[in-house]
Amino acid sequence: MEPVAAREPLIQILSVSRRYVRGVDEVHALENVSLSIAAGRFVAFMGPSGSGKSTLMNLVSGIDRPSEGEVLVAGQSLGELDEDELAEWRARHVGLIFQFFNLIPVLDARDNVALPLLLTDLAKSERLRRAETALRVVGLEERTDHYPRTLSGGEQQRVAIARAIVTDPDLIVADEPTGDLDARNAEAILELLRRLKNDFGKTIIMVTHDPRALRFVDHAFHLDKGLLLEGEDAERADRAVQLAAGGGLLSAAGAARPGGAA
Amino acid sequence: MGLPVSYSVRNVLARPMRSMMTAGVIALVVVAATLFLGLITSLKRTVAISGDPMNLIVMRKGSDNDGSSQLSLEAYQAIRFFDGIARDAADQPLASPELVVQPFLRTKDGGRENVLARGVEPVALQVHDKVRIVEGRMFQPSAGEAIIGRGVASRYADAELGKELQFGRGRWKVVGVFDADGSAFESEVWVDVRELANDAKRPFPYSGVRLRAASPTDLARLEKRIDDDPRYALDAQPEVEYYAKQSESANSLYVLVIGIAVLAGVGAGFGAANTMYAAVQARTAEIGTLRALGFSKRSILVAFQIEAIALALLGFAIGAVLSVLLALVLNALLGGIAFGAQTFTTNVITLRVSPSDLIGALGLALLVGVLGGLGPAWRAARLRPIEALRKA
Ligand SMILES: Nc1ncnc2c1ncn2[C@@H]1O[C@H](COP(=O)(O)OP(=O)(O)OP(=O)(O)O)[C@@H](O)[C@H]1O
Ligand SMILES: [Mg+2]
Repeated sequence: MEPVAAREPLIQILSVSRRYVRGVDEVHALENVSLSIAAGRFVAFMGPSGSGKSTLMNLVSGIDRPSEGEVLVAGQSLGELDEDELAEWRARHVGLIFQFFNLIPVLDARDNVALPLLLTDLAKSERLRRAETALRVVGLEERTDHYPRTLSGGEQQRVAIARAIVTDPDLIVADEPTGDLDARNAEAILELLRRLKNDFGKTIIMVTHDPRALRFVDHAFHLDKGLLLEGEDAERADRAVQLAAGGGLLSAAGAARPGGAA
Repeated sequence: MGLPVSYSVRNVLARPMRSMMTAGVIALVVVAATLFLGLITSLKRTVAISGDPMNLIVMRKGSDNDGSSQLSLEAYQAIRFFDGIARDAADQPLASPELVVQPFLRTKDGGRENVLARGVEPVALQVHDKVRIVEGRMFQPSAGEAIIGRGVASRYADAELGKELQFGRGRWKVVGVFDADGSAFESEVWVDVRELANDAKRPFPYSGVRLRAASPTDLARLEKRIDDDPRYALDAQPEVEYYAKQSESANSLYVLVIGIAVLAGVGAGFGAANTMYAAVQARTAEIGTLRALGFSKRSILVAFQIEAIALALLGFAIGAVLSVLLALVLNALLGGIAFGAQTFTTNVITLRVSPSDLIGALGLALLVGVLGGLGPAWRAARLRPIEALRKA
């Protein structure tokens, strides 16, 4: 393993806050969060419901913009891009995975996977070829012409993962990818994500409530009420999760340093 | 590149019930529009085509149609030899004295309708050179014979070669069927003018005279000379103008029908909009996903607009097939469609759904799709991805 410090962080989140105005109230979804994540790592974000995990994912993938602070991905400050540029950047650099798979029901597996390639200049034959390759990576080469409704939840999520990697992005952002799956399928998905990191060098950030995810990730961040837990608080949160998972499965090496980095 | 057209089309097909209901409403509008347009086109054609640019129609001053005009033998003899009238090979002037009466005829389905019977001389076939005998032959003078227009042949009882029509005091043997390029003459029965005058016991032998001018200058000169002649109080006008006046009623019908079609189209547009709003609502998370994957607002807008248009085109396709079938059935059952023209005689029109009527209806359907899709497509494009994704 390369020493962590030697690598340029792929993601830098600098004093980011995100507030939503809801009627007269203001919801502080994220409050002054700073952290960095090195390239080629698989990290989890955990925390209670409403703690700001999805908000953070949206900011890193450029679907949303911070109220304050800056998000940099591979040196690119997302705040400098306008809406169309951001969409283009996202299409090229980020693969997205959702809790409810979010496949397009009227397209078969291959067309679903090929969808992001419509935003490239590739010819149709090449798009389909790449989609088939991606489906092979997730082990669904037999299901290319199946429509989402004819696939199981686990299979649908694997199609969604194929769609997320078909553009060969640097970064994969997954918001509760196993949230709608049973234990067996959830483990298969986590295993697949880890393989994407190990075999293809992808950086993966994932929101999860699943304590078993700790066995697969390099590091877990903990959010609570829009704040990033650090130091003692983070260690306590880690231990709580390990306890829930049934024992010390997470190595101490992955523990957060002050300021939060993975 | 944006989303492929197949994405929009598949989404139309993915909700068959709802799409078919909306397409069905659009199809009804299309059927109504094509059939009415077809009817009006035929109607306009009959009146518009009836005029020959070189012909003058001469009537008594103050008459607005040849059914209410009368003309003496003396007047006819005088104008027949005016300068500027074209002449046939035998150097006879192309002046056709005509008498118009409006007897009742029995229709095939048992009704009774006024038909226009025109008494003519053989020269009429030269003055109205669009009239061609397509079956049988021209009538013999004073033999109780008649020739009938194609529209008459398909609509009235006994209106066929060899049978006898009964009107006035006489019986008229049908010896020929003629065609007149779809003009109003096709709804007429032609007989010998003297026989008709005797039969109808008219004090004047003619309703009017039709003249064929030798040249356009002669046409203008003849018109003025007849108008200015103090002896007979006659009025000459170009046939084209005469029929244009007659077709004004068709034009107002046209406006009315287009108005109705547009109103129906607006209704169908609301139906399409409603369906598309429901589609946007149901696919909010999907739209959020597409935006998150990097598709632009524009490509969402276009995809939903195309979806609405595809829905309208589906409606058009169904409606086009239905209206062609319906036209065939109507023509077979009714032998054309009857119209009371200004003169109260019946103009028989064969309903044809022509390509131009279909194109008109296609235009209307596209308008329904474009306008109906506009609002929903905008709503889809304006959805904010983070909020849309929360609907999953
Ligand atoms: N678009 C929005 N408008 C208003 N408030 C929002 C919006 N999105 C999120 N919030 C609020 O911001 C806070 C953080 O939401 P977020 O979705 O990031 O939580 P989360 O950690 O992902 O929770 P969960 O585990 O339930 O998914 C919540 O209080 C939420 O209600
Ligand atoms: Mg969430």
